[in-house]
Amino acid sequence: MNETTQNLLVFGGVLFVIGMVGFLTRRSLILMFLSLEMMLSGVSVNLIAFSRHHQNYQGQILAVMVLTIAACEAAIALALVVSLYRRKATLDVAAWDDLSETLIPKVIETPQTLEEPAMEFPKLTPAGLDPLSRPISADFDAQSLENGESVKANTLEAGTHA
Amino acid sequence: MNLLNNYFLNSAFFAQSGTESAVPTAVSQVVDSAVPIQAWTNSMLVPIVLGAVGYLFIQHGVVKSKAYFAAGAVAVLLAVGFALGFTPGTFDSYVLMAFCAVATGGGIGFLTAREPVYAALGFATAVLSVCGVLFMQSALFIAAATMIVYAGATIIIFLFVLMFAQQTELRTYDVQLNNPLVAAAIGAILLATITMCVTKNNAILPVRVDSTRVMSAASLPDSLSSEAGKEASKKLDAIDPNLRYVPKLTAGLGRSMYTDYLLAVELAGTVLLVATIGAIALAQRTTETQS
Repeated sequence: MNETTQNLLVFGGVLFVIGMVGFLTRRSLILMFLSLEMMLSGVSVNLIAFSRHHQNYQGQILAVMVLTIAACEAAIALALVVSLYRRKATLDVAAWDDLSETLIPKVIETPQTLEEPAMEFPKLTPAGLDPLSRPISADFDAQSLENGESVKANTLEAGTHA
Repeated sequence: MNLLNNYFLNSAFFAQSGTESAVPTAVSQVVDSAVPIQAWTNSMLVPIVLGAVGYLFIQHGVVKSKAYFAAGAVAVLLAVGFALGFTPGTFDSYVLMAFCAVATGGGIGFLTAREPVYAALGFATAVLSVCGVLFMQSALFIAAATMIVYAGATIIIFLFVLMFAQQTELRTYDVQLNNPLVAAAIGAILLATITMCVTKNNAILPVRVDSTRVMSAASLPDSLSSEAGKEASKKLDAIDPNLRYVPKLTAGLGRSMYTDYLLAVELAGTVLLVATIGAIALAQRTTETQS
């Protein structure tokens, strides 16, 4: 029991730290809120572990409250994100740096994108006639090859197309 | 001091009247872990530092777009490590550790993925595995509610907004992060501190059962592992071997919630209502164009 509680506390700490690092580093508004949710789930794990450890329901009830507040927060955060996106058409937090202190010098960022991996086309084995080396004449008819006789029914049409 | 006095008075009262439940005796035996804890603490610092360094490598482009490979590798390593570190373990503990490992892997995938949609999928993986952990800790209602609220509602709505705002190519703000070095350092230090505090000797006292509280319904019923649960299942076995004893966990949670914490439940409902109104008011389009 004691050992399981310790492991779960460490696990809750891991989730919390993952969420915290994500919140500090991410710049997309939505991913920042997802990081917050990750931190909250780490806290929930802690609460449940203690509830199990003390054999009572208090931790579980606190986890229910955390869940409720997380749902409220997600709803309001999404409404805010949608209205912010309507203003500036970007999810970047740095777009709203005007709201922060003006004393902090602005970091001029160089636009950087991931290089796309070059597309690789499959190499097919050549089949059939090579139209470059042996151009097909305008009055070529495929059926004449099969039947062994030259049927020039479409000659007029092919000539007009060519 | 006043609280402490009250606690002692209450416990004395309940010791006299003999209404102490049978649950605490099952837990009160101190279980010393087999692994020497100090060694375990020091060895935990190595993966934390390695994880921070690996995260920095991934963020600086040394390891490119191998986020999910890294997450899977971490999950497998953690699972193997847990299985080795806790060897006389029950099947339940192995399942629990597997859920923990998958959740950590999903979290690392969430942290290191470049595309926001993949990050959201990693988050979904982590949350579902956390639901498994909660389930294994006999918090059935919380597990179900987390699955519905987080994985069902929140993830789907966040994905909707992501796809509503997402262009085809990666944006600069998805690729260039804010101070990954500082964040990784803070995270590693915090995690190391948490680990050292938690795994210290006698950091977690073995029992502090709160069943002595007056007017409280807040104590877990006899789960299967406790003495009372074993007795109950034995009784059922005597009647019919096909019957299985099911502890009433969720019923007890509801009873405790609507007796001990009624005010908190009402307040949470009010907060939900206010949040609904606020979200609707915030998301409304402004009618400047009409005027």
